[in-house]
Amino acid sequence: MTIPQTTSSPPAPQPRVSRRTFLKGSAAATVAIGVAALPSAIAAVEQPVPGTSSGPLRKGKVIDCHAHLTHHSRATWKADDRKLIEAADKLGIDQLCCSTLTPRWPATLDGFRECNQWTADGMQMFTGRVLGYCYVNPGYGREAMEEIRRYVGDHGFIGIKLYNEYTCTEPVVFPIVELAIELGVPILHHASHSHYFVEDQPRLTDGGHLAELARRYPEAMLICAHISGGGDWEWTIKALRHAPNVLLDTSGSVTDADTVDMAVDVVGVDRLVFGCDSSMTAGVGKIRGANLGIQDKEKILGENMMKLLRRRKS
Amino acid sequence: MIVDVNAYLGHFAFRRLRHNTAAALLALMDSMKIDKAVVSSAGAITYRNAQAGNEEVAAEIRDHRDRLIPLAVVNPFYAGWQDDLKACHEEFGMAGLRLYPKWHNYSLSSPCCQELVNAAAERGLVISIPIRVEDNRERSWLLNVPDVPLEEIVELVKAHPKARFILLNGIGYTGCPLGRKDNGLPSNYAIELSRLSAVLANELGQLIANLGAERVMFGTGMPFNYPDPALVKLEVLDTSEPEKEKIRSQNAIAWLRL
Repeated sequence: MTIPQTTSSPPAPQPRVSRRTFLKGSAAATVAIGVAALPSAIAAVEQPVPGTSSGPLRKGKVIDCHAHLTHHSRATWKADDRKLIEAADKLGIDQLCCSTLTPRWPATLDGFRECNQWTADGMQMFTGRVLGYCYVNPGYGREAMEEIRRYVGDHGFIGIKLYNEYTCTEPVVFPIVELAIELGVPILHHASHSHYFVEDQPRLTDGGHLAELARRYPEAMLICAHISGGGDWEWTIKALRHAPNVLLDTSGSVTDADTVDMAVDVVGVDRLVFGCDSSMTAGVGKIRGANLGIQDKEKILGENMMKLLRRRKS
Repeated sequence: MIVDVNAYLGHFAFRRLRHNTAAALLALMDSMKIDKAVVSSAGAITYRNAQAGNEEVAAEIRDHRDRLIPLAVVNPFYAGWQDDLKACHEEFGMAGLRLYPKWHNYSLSSPCCQELVNAAAERGLVISIPIRVEDNRERSWLLNVPDVPLEEIVELVKAHPKARFILLNGIGYTGCPLGRKDNGLPSNYAIELSRLSAVLANELGQLIANLGAERVMFGTGMPFNYPDPALVKLEVLDTSEPEKEKIRSQNAIAWLRL
């Protein structure tokens, strides 16, 4: 599908959360970082961001590690995707790591293929703003692997998105993890831990499963999705304490006080990555509200994710 | 000025709360530039005798009446609630009620609850109803307390046109009569914004368009919640400054007679 290329400049002046406000009244660092030796996909990650106050090659970029473009079965998808970028503009978010998910699960082969094409289209439409995750259902084995090679290798996607088709400790997932290691890209894995059986997600992954997978593959870069929308976040944080290669994504609609603070206390600030998962003001507000210094917030808001993305191997 | 109509003091049974004493909450409010907060007992949500929580709150805020406005948690199925209501209003000077129909296991349409609502209305007390206390997905293994269905709120506001309701911690109002324009309902309820979207679906903007800024109030849910997400909503809200001022404080001041 071809989508006309447009700029992503924000429209007329609107209320906006300044970077200064984002970091709670403190001046943001603007130290340049070099990109000369970075692989091309990472260089793309670090392209100038039109319409935002943040420069291209400096610390302080805000990256939403968990975002979604709209499935095209929704009549308003174009406007909805545009609204996502406008919301990012308002909130001072420079880049959004997006996947497009199928409306029903388990995803079919055709289903995730068209989603990934739409994500690629979105990357073109919102150049420099949208970074792509390749979404696959691991049950499709060879075809899923080919899809990842195609989109990560040829289209510059920055990682892999796995949902709830399989629990991450099931062997069918392992080849995907091994491919992610080979390519040097992260896996953002849907996760939740509730103290009851979640009937509509029987193969739901939780922080404990991700810790087990991380022990099996210590070289893998795993991201546990939405600690603030994944059930008992205190359980999740504790379950991941001893899994150093699992990062915790702060996204989700829940704004419980202490979430980010406890995560920093238990797993360390280097293992948190900022996300919204479409709960935009919740995502931003949680980081702003956390009782952390500016440098720590800068890490969560973008530096930690940048560090992951620089580990890409091709 | 900023008035937060959705704040709490004390302990919650299932999770540690910080900033849950008057001193700590005030310090948090200072750091957020929130001038006043409407507080009730978090402990009373699970106490059998909710009045014990009201007494704790009354003692806690005694020296801070200028900034902390207390509300009473009353369970209309518990013995002596009429005495508790009288004490909360007349002795403790509480400005209204917080009702927890699902946590306290009663129906908003039950005769006991209707009696309580009528009694509160006669006293000029506002009635705030948290649609939820916390996200149901993180609930303890001990219990499963659903959100208050908005349809039940519709019937409540219809049945009590003289009472005044403030709805807290809710979402999805535009999907039911409560958030629709010309909905035929009395304008006896206001909606607090802590869970409303302010971008993307922008339910906050839709409610202002449909009901008027006079019917929307600022609230955070602190110390259950970080206060910042609610403040961010105000910052990005695309409406006039006079309307924002109504939401920030003027509506709460008028409804609570502060």
